[in-house]
Amino acid sequence: MSRVIFWSTVTFCTAFLALPLLLVWPLAFNTSSFLTYPLEGLTLDWFHQVLTQPTWVNAFLKSLKVALGAMMLALAIGGLAATGVILVPRVLQVVLTGLFLSPIVVPTVVVGVAFAYAFGRAGIGGGYFSLVLAHAVLGAPLVFLSVLTSLRGLDPNLDLAGASMGASRSYRFRTITLPLALPGFAAGAVFAFITSFDEVVVALFLADPGSTTLPIALFAGLRDRLQPSIVVVAVLLSAVSLLFLVLLRRLQMRVAAPKS
Amino acid sequence: MSFIEITQVSKHYGAFQALHDVTLSIRKGEFVTLLGPSGSGKTTLLKVLAGFEPVSSGGILLDGRDITRVPPEKRNFGLVFQGYALFPHMTVQDNIAYPLRVRRRPRAEIEEQVAALLKLVQLERFAGRKPHELSGGQQQRVALARALVFKPDLLLLDEPMSALDKKLRHDLQEELRAIHRTLGTTFINVTHDQEEAMHMSDRIAVMNHGRVEQFDTAHTLYRRPVSRFVAEFVGKSNIFPGQIGRAAGGQVFSGPGFTMPVPDCAQGEALVLLRPEDVEIAERAPTDGRIAVPVMVASSTYSGDRALYTLSPQAGAQILAYGSARSGVHPDGASLFAIFAAENAIVLD
Repeated sequence: MSRVIFWSTVTFCTAFLALPLLLVWPLAFNTSSFLTYPLEGLTLDWFHQVLTQPTWVNAFLKSLKVALGAMMLALAIGGLAATGVILVPRVLQVVLTGLFLSPIVVPTVVVGVAFAYAFGRAGIGGGYFSLVLAHAVLGAPLVFLSVLTSLRGLDPNLDLAGASMGASRSYRFRTITLPLALPGFAAGAVFAFITSFDEVVVALFLADPGSTTLPIALFAGLRDRLQPSIVVVAVLLSAVSLLFLVLLRRLQMRVAAPKS
Repeated sequence: MSFIEITQVSKHYGAFQALHDVTLSIRKGEFVTLLGPSGSGKTTLLKVLAGFEPVSSGGILLDGRDITRVPPEKRNFGLVFQGYALFPHMTVQDNIAYPLRVRRRPRAEIEEQVAALLKLVQLERFAGRKPHELSGGQQQRVALARALVFKPDLLLLDEPMSALDKKLRHDLQEELRAIHRTLGTTFINVTHDQEEAMHMSDRIAVMNHGRVEQFDTAHTLYRRPVSRFVAEFVGKSNIFPGQIGRAAGGQVFSGPGFTMPVPDCAQGEALVLLRPEDVEIAERAPTDGRIAVPVMVASSTYSGDRALYTLSPQAGAQILAYGSARSGVHPDGASLFAIFAAENAIVLD
């Protein structure tokens, strides 16, 4: 009986989560130029169209550049914040953790408006730089969390052992703390990258015509003309995310493994 | 001529006082054990010595130099942690080389030193392994090698045997003792295991409630304990409460069910200690002037060469006594005499 409940729950939940995706994906291979079922025939023409059209390719490259920039910046901010927070007294830790996590608690629309306003006042304007900055702020809490978790998991005696052997604080950080927390940094980086790569709300507020990212191009295409090429882009985006999920999983396995 | 001079060290954690005016002086090359139950302050004292915890008051001298406020990385003390604290991402070899790399020693010297230490702890074959691929005993040896490779002025050991099983513990005690003899480094070991302390140490500091109760050789602690706590914590003991008073021919201790002469000491309430091996058991009371207390066997533990009896006297607490078991063990319920000589009794304050 319990197995029946278990499997029906699993099936229902999986269907609920995955069915929309599963329904959309086949349309990318449909010969018809309308997004309708039943499929008329199978083709890779739409993929060819997307991969040769400069709008899509440029948007993809732009997204990649923004995501990489945001990832680097988020890694620096979140990583430093986490390594610092671990060293301060307990009460201050709670307060600082709250502060560093606030960007993911505030609704993205609010963040978008706030950035648009702030950058406007500061005279930075839209474009690549402001996108990277905003996405870094969104990604930093994720880096912060995953680094903090991996730092908390370290045996505090390892650092003391290093000290007893004469190693200075910075030497200990480089040779003990950092290598052991590396999986946390890597996982944080992946999170930050994905967050930026498919972020659309803040990007809508900040992007200028010269910095159209892939999600924005997708969004615009959706309003313009419903075509299978949009679905193709969606499939490609999902593939990238899936790739990173697999990467993340492998990283987590590596974190879990060396516990003795 | 003491090497380490701990003078009136106190340590407070808020309202709790973990160390209370601890004063110890330790000679160069000595193997000292800090022995006490949990919460006695032995680990706190070790942390203070290592430099991980600042003292609230008092001071520590190393070879005449004040090191009270010197940070741990400048002390040049080796430390073996309770859980070993080996670096999990480094091989055995790299773990042992770590303190030498910190000191920027030339590569050839590092290789030579690491090889020497691997040989000392008999782990040559495991140089390339990661710590999680080793057994508990092997990990402990790596920790020991890593703490000794830079020739520290002092080696601190924080309950190094607590995670090991009894047989292994015994072997490693022997080995640690041998290494101590070979190197001549000053060792300070922390443990709650009195057997371990007695096997290995030149001198033992018995700690209780943040104070050092007694600091002496194992033999003196056992035969001449200064307090009830030391008497009970070190070895098995019989403690009789009673009164010391004056009688014809000197002072007399009146215990539960017996009286015996004692040397000159303060009159009034007193405790008298008798070790179980000083209590004989026999079916007949002796006529040589020794004291005999009629008892009944409550239980016995046979260990081949001898048996440990728990005896119930008519008055007072149970008495522990070792008896020869060559011709069998007295059954429970047997009526016997517990016999002891007054000169083996120790009057506690």
